[in-house]
Amino acid sequence: MTASAWSRAAAGHDADARRLASPPRGQLRSALESALAAEHAASYGYGVVGAHLTGAEQAAATRDWIAHQEARDALEAMLTSLGAQPQAAATAYRLPRPVLTAHDAVALAVLLEDRVATAYLSLVAVSNPAVRHFGALRLRAAALSAAFWRGTTVAFPGLPADVLGRPPKV
Amino acid sequence: VTAEPTRRALLAASAALPLVAAAGCKGVGALAAPPAQAADVGMLKEAIAAEELMIARYQAVLAAPHRAHGLAVVLETLLAEHRAHLAQLRSRLIVPAGAATASSSPPPKGPGEHSGSGTHSVPGGQAVPSRPAAAIAFLRAAEQHASDVLLSQLRIAPASLAQLLASISASEATHAAILAPGGQHG
Repeated sequence: MTASAWSRAAAGHDADARRLASPPRGQLRSALESALAAEHAASYGYGVVGAHLTGAEQAAATRDWIAHQEARDALEAMLTSLGAQPQAAATAYRLPRPVLTAHDAVALAVLLEDRVATAYLSLVAVSNPAVRHFGALRLRAAALSAAFWRGTTVAFPGLPADVLGRPPKV
Repeated sequence: VTAEPTRRALLAASAALPLVAAAGCKGVGALAAPPAQAADVGMLKEAIAAEELMIARYQAVLAAPHRAHGLAVVLETLLAEHRAHLAQLRSRLIVPAGAATASSSPPPKGPGEHSGSGTHSVPGGQAVPSRPAAAIAFLRAAEQHASDVLLSQLRIAPASLAQLLASISASEATHAAILAPGGQHG
């Protein structure tokens, strides 16, 4: 179901990266809508993540889940204030791969955070200073969560490697 | 920020790094944007100097006698990410032929160059604590501070540079988290 919604918001990172690097098609509103789509997908995805974790990991997933719901609400409010009708979440999203184990769940959490981080980078490019700051803060939050789930850090959260235009490090 | 006319540099921001995420940016128009204002170049130079300082701090901590502590591998990884930040920032600064060097800051002094009684220092005269736990706390505070400074600067940066600064700010926040006593996540 709604495979297109998932792939638009949360799957196919490489394809997304290429598309993101292409010329823009919209304004502040499109950037907010992209971020909202990513947050909808993350809110859905974390429900799956949390269901496959226990103990401290489940608590962390719950914390992230709530954070994404709050960010989603903030984005909806921003869109409403622009006179736009925020897009509702899809009923369900197709996961990029089945989540059967705790390991799968953690991998999905990393993926969700990476997608959200990239979506927020589009907000950092808008001229509205308040929205830009919000985007940067949420990018930072997504990077922190991604690092937690991944267990390691990355040099350029949210920025696809091909956009950076440098050869991959050995 | 006042510019030094004789050391004018051109910002290659838009050309070197396509804007990520189409929505909300000026896109193709941005590619044709005029050379950056002096303030933008100043911002880039500040970010470069901050990365150079951060690298010097890591080098000083890693060069200290106590480096046997278990975090050396982590520190090397974080240092490598700072080097990547620096390379990316430097690649966006184009200095016209005959102009002065790209960086407004003096090259970082070697780690331990001013090593005194139990401490190492980095450019700016900051002493690096000798106790391992204190050294890690020192790096952690420096990372958090650097992340916050970038966050405040990107408000007025051109869109493409703002994205790079935001990403580096996020990376540095994760460094601070990974250096925290209990691990990460906030």
